[in-house]
This record gives sequence, structure tokens and C-alpha cells, in this order.
Amino acid sequence: MIVGDLKPLEEIVSTIKAYKQVLVLGCGSCVTVCLSGGEREAVQLRRELSQMRHYQSAPPKFEVDSILRQCERDLVLEFQNIPAGTDAVLSLACGAGVQTLADAFEPLPVIPALNTTFLGASDKPGIWTEKCKGCGDCILMHTGGVCPVARCAKSLFNGPCGGSKGGYCEVGKDIPCAWTQIVARLKKMNKLHFYEEVRTLKNWEPGGATGPRRRVRTGLGDGPK
Amino acid sequence: MSYFRVNENCNGCLACMENCPACALGFVDQDGRRTLKHNMTKCARCGQCWRICPQSAVEFQHFLVGQWDDVIKLDLVHCRVCGEPLYSPAYRQKVESKLNSTDEPLCPKHRQSYAASMWPHLVSGKAKPNLGGK
Repeated sequence: MIVGDLKPLEEIVSTIKAYKQVLVLGCGSCVTVCLSGGEREAVQLRRELSQMRHYQSAPPKFEVDSILRQCERDLVLEFQNIPAGTDAVLSLACGAGVQTLADAFEPLPVIPALNTTFLGASDKPGIWTEKCKGCGDCILMHTGGVCPVARCAKSLFNGPCGGSKGGYCEVGKDIPCAWTQIVARLKKMNKLHFYEEVRTLKNWEPGGATGPRRRVRTGLGDGPK
Repeated sequence: MSYFRVNENCNGCLACMENCPACALGFVDQDGRRTLKHNMTKCARCGQCWRICPQSAVEFQHFLVGQWDDVIKLDLVHCRVCGEPLYSPAYRQKVESKLNSTDEPLCPKHRQSYAASMWPHLVSGKAKPNLGGK
């Protein structure tokens, strides 16, 4: 899922204080599941932002709402009501949701309340870790299901660097070395021969190196028939 | 009632079923009638049915503002002072067994006054705490 974190309150206040009526809009998908931008968090943020102590003059009037997904243009245009008098939307979605709203409701300002942090998974309740960089050319079949692009600090493709100590990365004592995990997994899978194969230079074009990526699904909408 | 609802424009063409990526729609033709079926546990609420329907028959808003379903009904323990509902008897029993003590059924407000009544010397300020020194 896409994982996000609420921006510091002071930063949010500084971006909304010039407006008179703000719609605080939660998103019902990824950021609801990672407990940062769902309906509950939207209600809580409205409560915090309504405190007079954040403002030198009158605070904006706040409305709260939430929609299943903010990242689908036709869905938000059809079903998201923008209350009369709203002069800004404070979105608790990821960057994709914020931009979709900004496109859909142009020229209404859409302000991000979250920092979109990574594509990750929940390993334990309350803990999310980065698992995928969206590099566009998945090699997990060779690395025992552990991604060296996302989980190795240097995104190395042919084994660990010299900074791997006791199974941990030199970058941080709580960051497992991805290559230690890969080797251990391949050993358990009896596929250690994958480790012996030399991976050639990665082509980063599918990973966005040649500009924004686009996916067109055959047989749907405006895509090829 | 199903969350997947169609209006009178539905002509049973099954475009929704054929384009459902989650295989959450099906149909049964029986006794000369076609029944469209929906399985909420498979449904991803992706909206493809709504997008694809050539008849504009899918009322997707019911997926966004669905009704509340009753899940279970339990007896309640009430605050013995004001009668505010607190928790179920089973929950009380669980807490008591965890704390290894009996719980007074009190709401937060009356729990405070109950706690104060247990330590009147602290509330009145007459007694000074014994910090262990002379």
C-alpha cells in the first residue's frame, strides 16, 4: 500500500490560514489502512486545526468529509460534494489523490496534509516498512522475494557492500541488510545458485528515468481495442 | 439489501459482470428469469461496473454511503450512580480477572468522586504525604 505521514501541524496551519472555509478530506483506501489519512484522522485533524491558538486572526471554517478513493478523477467528480463557500481543500490522500483532486476541481487549491512516504507493507501492527520502489522491472523471482532496490540502502544488485555488519546495514542499526536477508532466504529455498548469477546493469527507464509513466489498459475506455 | 444496486435502466446485458476485475458479479438464469448476483466479500469497490455500464444503471453511491448492519447485541452493565451504560458483563468479568479484583461499575465522572471518597485525607489536604523521611 501507499504509506503516508501527517505533516507537522505548524506546516499545515501555515498553508491553510489564509483561507476562509476549508474542506478537510480523508481518503478511504491506503492512507486509511496505514492510519494516517482516513475519515477518523480527518475528523481529528479538523479538531486540532480548529484551535484558536494556531491563528492570529479568526481560523478558517472547517468542513470534514471522506471518499473511498481520491485518486480516481471520474469518481471524485461524480460523488465528491464540495460544500458551497469552500475556498480550499485540505487532502489527507497521497500525492496521487491530491493531484487528482487538483485536476478535477481546478482552480480550487488542494493542499496536502500528508507527506507520501513509500510503497510498503505492514509487517506488524503499527509498523510499516518500505518494500517497493516501483522500478518497473521486478527481479524478486531472483532474490528470494526480498527487493534489493527498495530494501538495500545502495540498491545493489550483486551482493552486499562492506557496510553490512551482523546482518544490519551501516546506514542504521535497525535496518536489516537486504542482501543478508536475500542470501538467507535463497538458502532456505535451496536456490543459492541465483546468488551466483551476475545481474547486469539495470535499465532504469521503466523506473521513471525517462519521465512520468503511464499505463494504458487494452480494451478499456480510451485504450487500444 | 445488496450494496450493489441497479436502477430501472438495467437490461441484464452482463457488461458489469464481464468487466468486474474481482469476479464479484455473477448471474443465474432460472425459470425464465435472469438474476444478477453480487458478492460483497469479493468486491473491491473499484467502480468498473459503474464506469462500464452502457445503460448507466449501476448506482455506485450505495457503495459509498452504505447502511449500518447490526453485528451482535449484548447486555450492558450500567454506572450504579447515574445509570450510564458502560460495558458488557463479559467484558467486566475479563477486566476483573486481569486485575484480580472486583470492579465498581462507575462512569468516568463517578469513578473520580468514588476514588476521592476512598482517600478523604488527600482531598481535604489535612494529611501530608509520608515520603519516607523524618
